[in-house]
Amino acid sequence: MAEGPGALLGRMVAGRQAGTVAGLLVLCVALWIATPYFATAANLANVAEQSAIVGVIAIGMTFVILTGGIDLSVGSLVALAGVAMASALQRGWPLPMAIGLGLLAGAVAGLANGLLITVGKLPPFIATLGMMSVARGGALMLTDGRPISGFPASLRLLATSNVGGVPAPVVYMLALYIVAHVVLTRTVLGRYVYAIGGNEEASALSGIDVRFFKTIVYVISGVSASICAILLVARLNSAQPIAGMGYELDAIAAAVIGGTSLLGGTGTVVGTLVGALILSVLRNGLNLLGVSSYLQQVAIGVVIVAAVLVDMALHRKLQQALR
Amino acid sequence: MRVPLSCRRLLTAFALGLALACNRGADSGSKPAVALVLKTLNNQFFIDMEAGARAAADSLGIDLIVQAPEREIDVEKQMQIVENLLQRQVKVLLLVPSGSKEIVPAVIKANGAHIPVVTVDARIDTMALRAAGGVVVTFIGSDNEDGGRLAGAFVAERLSGKGTVAVLEGIPGHENGDARLRGFRSALGKSPGVTIVASQTANWERDQAFNVAQNILQAHPSITALFACNDVMALGAIEAIAAAGKSAQITVVGFDAQDDARKAIADRRMAATIAQNPREMGRLAVVTAARILKGETVPAEQPVAISLVKYE
Repeated sequence: MAEGPGALLGRMVAGRQAGTVAGLLVLCVALWIATPYFATAANLANVAEQSAIVGVIAIGMTFVILTGGIDLSVGSLVALAGVAMASALQRGWPLPMAIGLGLLAGAVAGLANGLLITVGKLPPFIATLGMMSVARGGALMLTDGRPISGFPASLRLLATSNVGGVPAPVVYMLALYIVAHVVLTRTVLGRYVYAIGGNEEASALSGIDVRFFKTIVYVISGVSASICAILLVARLNSAQPIAGMGYELDAIAAAVIGGTSLLGGTGTVVGTLVGALILSVLRNGLNLLGVSSYLQQVAIGVVIVAAVLVDMALHRKLQQALR
Repeated sequence: MRVPLSCRRLLTAFALGLALACNRGADSGSKPAVALVLKTLNNQFFIDMEAGARAAADSLGIDLIVQAPEREIDVEKQMQIVENLLQRQVKVLLLVPSGSKEIVPAVIKANGAHIPVVTVDARIDTMALRAAGGVVVTFIGSDNEDGGRLAGAFVAERLSGKGTVAVLEGIPGHENGDARLRGFRSALGKSPGVTIVASQTANWERDQAFNVAQNILQAHPSITALFACNDVMALGAIEAIAAAGKSAQITVVGFDAQDDARKAIADRRMAATIAQNPREMGRLAVVTAARILKGETVPAEQPVAISLVKYE
């Protein structure tokens, strides 16, 4: 799996990312022509910052989908981890400990998902659907349904500071993507994730501890939802028990647009990053152009389906060419 | 290789389609652009507000951009929309905040871009705004607490000072719903014989209201009145009440006076609603934007009248 950056680039251009990268470029060029407000430094920083929220959850989602699973609980975990961190801060916990608690909440919920799936033999859809409701209810119980606000300025700085003009959330997102990419391409964990998604039975027969590695990906997904929660709370300066509704679908969309197959075994986090960027560029562009809110939803749906159609067509042609 | 060609063709078609779709929005030309950002566009209240705003914009020669997140509860998406419209360099931002504290960072960004902010219908938390150093030019809307009091007084009168009441609350933390509730409770406080036996949120939604009302009826079958903090929930509740065969027993009062609610009142399925005037709010918001553009000063509060609508 180890490869140089040149080989990686080559594989991206020739392989499954070609469609999505081209799609993103075409979208950007079209918007650049259509509106003078798109291609400004401020707006591009703005788009990148907006993609960070879903982009971060989509990392964990990609790991899960690569094993052939799905995690519907991440939107609710965003709320649960957010209010867990916020109530810790309100009780006067120092920021690092409160963040630790938020991360722990996501990790524990993810572990529960993983165990339900591997030990309890539940289909991932069912296990995480259950967790989606449990975590949402937990978040509402913790807060009595009310948003929590009023945090130390250090928390706000996490989302509002910038590094050389690049908004901090974008820096975290990119760092996380680099880590995830390295994990998937250069570690045993990554190799096994692809192997399990490609053929679970064969993986088990060849001695891979399938249960362990499948559980791990749900923990990763829970933790990435927690990181997203921290960013969201810092950005809105408020933790809402109803936050994150529907984020699981955006994260799945980002992964799928990025060429990750819901059947498992194929996909990359780089593709997912491009998918997340496509979603935010599209929303941003449609806002800039003043397109009706109803039409925006249609456009986003069309893009999701079109991206997968193009990707599949490309893949088929490529396989024919290789034969 | 044929591969990239077919792919390119598809993408080109997509780009062309997008560019065509864009043309309508892009020709704003010399007219000043004003943004109206709503909580959602799947609630009649905001659709009415948009209609009022559009009519005013057409007559004043303003290029009005109306945007809203898909979900009323999605503050993060509303914030993204505001950020995007600031990039679009609108001249005035008319905002119906979807979270009274959460949207403060977006107001700060608008302030930073020297784009005047007008809040419509819902207020921004004054303390949070002041703490963050933000400024809102003016607030246009109704006094929701007054409306709640009006509803409470009506219920107390209808029940002749004796009975049990259920309440459907809005999303907790939404200032509008909280204010209506405060007003309603304070009015009922004057009639000790009328007590609230259940108070649950249905998150402003009709289907949730149906279910919550159904559940409340299981626990409190003898309630004699129900107050919903918006008409959407009241309309859900009257269906549940009708299904339980209790329409004659329960006085239902909503809030907003939407067309559907007015119809329900005319059919005597609902007792009353509180009329805010979203059309007038939309109109006044755009007129205010025009005045700000001309450099006129506007009052910090611009109340829009509120009234009780019942069967006449």
